[in-house]
Amino acid sequence: MDESDEALMARIARGDERAFRLLARRHLPAMAGLARRILGNAADGEDVAQEAMLRVWTHAPRWQPLAAFRTWLTRVVVNLCLDRKRRTQWVDLEAAGELVDPAPGATERAEGDERDRMLAAAVETLPARQRSAIVLTYSEGMSNAQVAEVLDTSVSAVETLLVRGKQNLRRALAGVIDEDE
Amino acid sequence: MTRDELQTLLDSHGADPAQWPAALRVAALGLIANDPQARADHEAARELDAALARFAQPDTADETAAARVLTRLAGPLPRQDRAFWRRWPAVLLDWQFAPAWPRLAALACCAVVGFGIGLAGLDRPFDRAGLTASNPDIASIVFEPEAITGARP
Repeated sequence: MDESDEALMARIARGDERAFRLLARRHLPAMAGLARRILGNAADGEDVAQEAMLRVWTHAPRWQPLAAFRTWLTRVVVNLCLDRKRRTQWVDLEAAGELVDPAPGATERAEGDERDRMLAAAVETLPARQRSAIVLTYSEGMSNAQVAEVLDTSVSAVETLLVRGKQNLRRALAGVIDEDE
Repeated sequence: MTRDELQTLLDSHGADPAQWPAALRVAALGLIANDPQARADHEAARELDAALARFAQPDTADETAAARVLTRLAGPLPRQDRAFWRRWPAVLLDWQFAPAWPRLAALACCAVVGFGIGLAGLDRPFDRAGLTASNPDIASIVFEPEAITGARP
């Protein structure tokens, strides 16, 4: 039996719950990780991943395979994250050094590497779209064109987001880099 | 290519020359080969890429979160969002045709209210009002001269 994402979506559109759970098991870890990195919070990331999968179920009968399922799902997750971020207040970039990544496991992993910890904290302070562009590029391994499709923008706009995001990261990490040098 | 242009290229496409646009690759590699500052910028970009890749690598916490979500999704799922023309047969099939006391009670109430209105004569004023409004119209139709000959009935 064909168990590609698109074939499973066709079965889900007919109300096949088993196909839905199979698809969810396949994509949930990556989507939970993506949402956690964009939101900077594991609990919120988990909520977004669950909401995205429920949308897969409810919208399946109307879903058209115009793009790859993974790209569509990534777009759903990113949009849910951006919606959620709009309701929160920005943290000043200068405070990046005092922030701690609250994701479980991330802190422990970064304990031995001060720069990685600072980087995680600095990424958390970036504006949501800059952070989304960086996370999609490095977490999902997407090209600039794919990131543009997910963020529903142009390739040049994605390049601008990446340039500004990395400029902000360098500024936030400047102290650490000076110490290393 | 200037150093600023190289920095923009490094930020927008990463430090790996294989990811750079072909039209810029030769110029960028030439600048890196000949300019120590450009070489340092390239090395810094490579370090930032590596740090971001470590930041973005999969975490066991995500597997745990996914397992929790899967557990929550094991319960009843919400109704799917179908177009109405595909949904209405299912709505009919789901309809409860078996009699149930609330429906019978509602029907009995309607019947009692209808009898009550009929017995009390609450419906008559409306009928009379309708007759008085329509009488002149009927008269004008009956006694009007015939349109072509002008003959009266």
